[in-house]
Amino acid sequence: MDLRPALQIQTVIKTLTDVILPALDPNNKLAQEQAKLSIGTLQLVLQRQALMYRYDLDELSRSLELARNLRAQAQDLPGSAPALKSLEESAKAGTDVRERARAEPGELEAANFDLREKIGALVTAVYSSSETAKLKQISQTVMAHAKEQLLRERSWLISQGWEPDPKSIPPIETLISGSK
Amino acid sequence: MQAIDKNRPSEQWIDSLRRRFPCEKEVDRVLTRKLQRRAGPPYSPVSLETLTAGTTALLKSELKDDFEITEAAWLSGGASKLQMAFKLKWNQPGVGRTTTPMVLRMEPSESITETSRLCEFEAIRALHGHIPVPPTYWADASGRFLPYPAIIYGFAEGVTKPTASTSNVTGVGTHLPKSIRAALGPQFVGHLAALHAFDWRKGGLTSFDVPAPGTQAVEWQLNHWERVWEEDANEDVPLMRLAMSWMRANMPPVDCISLIHGDFRTGNFLFTEHDTRISAWLDWEFAHLGDRHEDLSWTTQSVFGHMAEDGKTFLVAGLMPIDEFCAAYEKTSGLPIKPATLKYYEIFNTYKAIAICLGTGYRTARNGKTHQDVLVAWLCGISYLLLENLRTQLEEVL
Repeated sequence: MDLRPALQIQTVIKTLTDVILPALDPNNKLAQEQAKLSIGTLQLVLQRQALMYRYDLDELSRSLELARNLRAQAQDLPGSAPALKSLEESAKAGTDVRERARAEPGELEAANFDLREKIGALVTAVYSSSETAKLKQISQTVMAHAKEQLLRERSWLISQGWEPDPKSIPPIETLISGSK
Repeated sequence: MQAIDKNRPSEQWIDSLRRRFPCEKEVDRVLTRKLQRRAGPPYSPVSLETLTAGTTALLKSELKDDFEITEAAWLSGGASKLQMAFKLKWNQPGVGRTTTPMVLRMEPSESITETSRLCEFEAIRALHGHIPVPPTYWADASGRFLPYPAIIYGFAEGVTKPTASTSNVTGVGTHLPKSIRAALGPQFVGHLAALHAFDWRKGGLTSFDVPAPGTQAVEWQLNHWERVWEEDANEDVPLMRLAMSWMRANMPPVDCISLIHGDFRTGNFLFTEHDTRISAWLDWEFAHLGDRHEDLSWTTQSVFGHMAEDGKTFLVAGLMPIDEFCAAYEKTSGLPIKPATLKYYEIFNTYKAIAICLGTGYRTARNGKTHQDVLVAWLCGISYLLLENLRTQLEEVL
């Protein structure tokens, strides 16, 4: 999927800066200020969106460490028992989440990118050396994969309005639910 | 992530692409220029004053008498070029002192469709008096006077879609009411037939390369668009590799070389609403010499048409049923439509559209190279529907 938030936000910032802002009435101070704040907000989102996952993971690690320390320090204090029990359950769940969170989104994207490139190179290589008719099985494998992948890509972008029959496209949430 | 940094292409990589994908000299020139300039700055806004000054400099080099440019204004429409309307008060040869409405059509820093202004200018000039096109005036093919390469032609009256209608960007999805189809349909197919029957040898197309009989015409097109995909695509798409492999193994020889528009569809002609007459065909940037089936299959694509009110009959370009369209074309042009060749070019055209929208669309927006990156990035989104079309088209032939 090439249409990612980083690209989309970058293009919106550029159009707001180059086209929209200069076209606003300079005497409309409210519109001027809010347009500039919109650009600033989007610049912040653009800078930080790739780090959001790592940020959350870092926070979770610190929270778990804090929870562990507090549980040790507060375990004998009066009135702490119900809260400690509740905290212990949440810390256990949080530890489980941290252990399952391994590769970063950027690594995932890079792995997909690399595989696409290597698969494409293989397809070109075998079709350059053999007759198409002899490669029916490979053609069918590539086509079957494309059918499933494209369904997800079309569903992801459904709100753009390109699909002639949008009701025939399942919601993206159901299509990717098996990948947890 | 990529082994090759497509945002900062090396001379070696550019040379290797030129060797791998031989194509027409003007295509090679503009694609090479694009890559050589890519690492440069993004597009920065150009003012009407700058364009007026550039146009003035161009006209000073062309006109002996005094002239005046007035009423400069932006024109919208299209995803690939900047357009400025203006009026020129001048001493027009053969006419005398007059005021002529004109259009400046200029590239941005890097376009979603990197094409030759020289070829576009020559194609429009060649067809004047043959099918409705604006009169051509001047070309700044290398951007000597203007910030980027540009042409100047006459302003044509008309609209690309009924005033009250809606469409997605670039005219895709324009819905034409029944009342105007009957008048526009025969003109549409008649102009396409006339274009393909046009004797381009007498057209002064000096910037065009003439393909040899056989498969050279189609091979140049495959080289052109695979080169664009290689130059611009971000993520690879195995289906695109499969499609190109099939196309290279099944190239149809051309039986008659025609002048091809390359984007002949609703949205690329103007019509006057008071008399429902096509007043001008625009966007000749893809013009080249090739196989008529390329235009025929492009114009009959589902994305450029819509269903009639019965919900069953597909209307080519939103204008007429496909059977009527094909019959009228063959009768008017005297050229047969070969179903197998049409099918081949359906696949080619879908590949080309994906190379433009997903390949170049991504790259130009990524590098901030156009005057409307937000539109170009939005347009990337249609690529996945186009890829699905490509998949179903390949299913029929593999």
